[in-house]
Amino acid sequence: MTAWGAFILERLPELWSRTGEHLFLTGLATGIAVVLGLPVGIACRRIRCLRAPVLGAIGILQTIPSLAMLAILLSLLGKIGAVPAIIALTLYALLPIVRNTLTGLEGVPDRVIEAARGVGMTRGQQLRMVRIPLALPVIVAGVRTAAVIGVGIATLSAFIGAGGLGDFINRGLALRDSRLLVLGAVPAAILALLVDFAIWAAEWSARPLRQSERRRVLAALKRPALLAPAALVAFGVVTSVLELRPARLGGGAAARGRVGTSGTVRIGSKEFAEQLLLGEMMARMLETRTHLTVERRFGLGGTMICHEALTRGEIDLYAEYTGTGYQAVLKQKGARGAYTVFGIVRDQYRQRFGAEWLEPFGFNNTYAITVRRADAARNRWRTLSDLAPTAADLTAGFTSEFQERADGYPGLRRAYGLSFGKAIDMSPALMAEALSQGEVDVICAFATDGRIAAYNLLPLADDRGYFPPYDAAPVVRTAVLAEHPEVRDALAPLAGLLTDATMQRLNYEVEGKQRSPAAVAAEFLAAKGLLGPPGRAAPPAGAPAKPGAG
Amino acid sequence: MITLERVSKSYDGGRTYAVRDLSLHVAEGETLVLLGSSGCGKTTTLKMINRLIEPTAGRIEIDGTDVLDQDPIALRRSVGYVFQGIGLFPHMTIRRNVEIVPLLLGWALAERRRRADELLKLVGLNTATYAERYPDELSGGQQQRVGVARALAADPAYLLMDEPFGALDAVTRDTLQQELLALRRRLGKTIVFVTHDVFEALTLADRIAVLHDGRLLQLGSKKDVMHEPADAFVRDLFAKPGRQLAAYQDLAP
Repeated sequence: MTAWGAFILERLPELWSRTGEHLFLTGLATGIAVVLGLPVGIACRRIRCLRAPVLGAIGILQTIPSLAMLAILLSLLGKIGAVPAIIALTLYALLPIVRNTLTGLEGVPDRVIEAARGVGMTRGQQLRMVRIPLALPVIVAGVRTAAVIGVGIATLSAFIGAGGLGDFINRGLALRDSRLLVLGAVPAAILALLVDFAIWAAEWSARPLRQSERRRVLAALKRPALLAPAALVAFGVVTSVLELRPARLGGGAAARGRVGTSGTVRIGSKEFAEQLLLGEMMARMLETRTHLTVERRFGLGGTMICHEALTRGEIDLYAEYTGTGYQAVLKQKGARGAYTVFGIVRDQYRQRFGAEWLEPFGFNNTYAITVRRADAARNRWRTLSDLAPTAADLTAGFTSEFQERADGYPGLRRAYGLSFGKAIDMSPALMAEALSQGEVDVICAFATDGRIAAYNLLPLADDRGYFPPYDAAPVVRTAVLAEHPEVRDALAPLAGLLTDATMQRLNYEVEGKQRSPAAVAAEFLAAKGLLGPPGRAAPPAGAPAKPGAG
Repeated sequence: MITLERVSKSYDGGRTYAVRDLSLHVAEGETLVLLGSSGCGKTTTLKMINRLIEPTAGRIEIDGTDVLDQDPIALRRSVGYVFQGIGLFPHMTIRRNVEIVPLLLGWALAERRRRADELLKLVGLNTATYAERYPDELSGGQQQRVGVARALAADPAYLLMDEPFGALDAVTRDTLQQELLALRRRLGKTIVFVTHDVFEALTLADRIAVLHDGRLLQLGSKKDVMHEPADAFVRDLFAKPGRQLAAYQDLAP
């Protein structure tokens, strides 16, 4: 319990600002959806032939899975951050609002409308003075539905760097830390209830105050209640603005190729432990060795998101793997040698993307087709070729990226002539455990995965040299290096610093022992004497450190 | 003066007629009752007078001007209308309901308020008690008084009343009928009143127009329709209550 208390206390400021971001995203999107949806609902009532096409179109939007929607918007808009998230949330919010507006307006009794016409109201007056006030409870119910759905979907926006409570969930998944999951999910659920209640309260306060209710205590609450949703949104706006993450809103200036003069370097990372560690190490180095302000935009959901963010100037650098750059980004194949591949990606990135590959960190995090050590012993599997004959009887757990990428499963099948009986999509965070518990028989791990040793797993040798080298290195926008040459110098000590074994150990500190990447990275750098003057260096490598320290 | 000249209304492009070839006039200050069973076209006739419905053929004039030449919004604001089944706005207070036409006409707040209070008093509702209530906090009879007050708010010369007391119990109906008679004497409005109730027609009317299947069967004073019915239908219509009354008198102590 006290551990929980400390855990929450430590993250309270971030919880606060994430909640603010979450409210900002949801509130703004719901607000836009109301502004758009009300007129559309009103038009649908007036113009009968609009109904089927409009409701149909909005209904179809609703059926697009939220992650797919985010991905589509990402490629359409070409930017990460709050803008695509708000657009997606707005689109989802439209259906309940438009439908309830229409239903509410239609539900006004004919005799009331006849009376409105009879006393000489114009159509506009009928709408304003009679239809909308009478439809309001139904319309507001739609807004409540929209807002609650919005709070839920907004957790996914963290995948595209829009922030919000989903950041905790993402990190929890990446770091296999259920406390982070809870820290994201529980406040999100509470927030949904709170938002629902706040909008209800506002609608209640707008309802006519009956004679019988007058002079009751509740009546005194009527006016304040009207402000409940406004207060929530205001909280969201204030915390988001105070937090000042202008880059989240799109980083427009940098996207046009102009380097920010702000002296800020934005570091990206994908959403798994090693990436968070590398991101954190680079951030620490820049913080201690330059005067630049570092902004961490970690946990971006995948290679292409990081790459596009980099080329569009929304992040300035992140750690990429040579093999990934070569195959997934440059769409090339054939070359195998680590040195060759590095040379190709360095030249191509420089020419095509205005980005520079710095010296690799030293480890090669290639794919490692991994099985349980016990199975390997029983079946005498040492290499992938050993595995091929029995593959049809095995169930594989692969990341969806590995399933699809040419340098993933499709290529593997051709190279070894193997085909697994079943190949299930799995989150990288869950697969080692799934393998050790026997839910799958084979996974695509990474060579530096800390769980390989921890779960008693065995990476099989790639005896035909199928997998390309995946040497990790910082990739930095050339423009940033030109304006801030100190970036290159500050990162130079990281070159060759990390071996496969070191990386496995650091990954396990984060994934296995549930320590924060920031703490592990800082401790490691300090042990290497890279943080500050030698006198202030942290405990030597191997010394037990307090979790959460750093 | 309201004049209808060979007015017809068909809802189905001429196959059937809700009102057929109807001509009548309503004199200044009189109460004309349109009497007939449901579906006879009396409500349609009433609604055509303030253009809630437009006639298929014929001509309707108010004070010598064709209603079709008038702005329907202005026309409706200038004619008081009391709706069948009350028709108050449920989300507005009683005061708001009463002052709605002055509001639409753009009267100043103080004037509106003064007028609403005056009218509530006129229809026998205590302002302090009722003005801030909502329609569903009032009894049916009280609601219909508000309906009458609302129709009178802008001091219209003409009042159209569509079975206003139809949904009320007999005692309340009688009270309201008597109050309407008193109001009419005081205010001198010209009233077109729709009902299917022979007694109500006889109580309120100066003249009665008997409608059946969209046609005017007879238009005349109470005496005329009672004593010189134009045809068998009119005779039966007025004979039946007479028989009921006789039966009632037989039983009375």
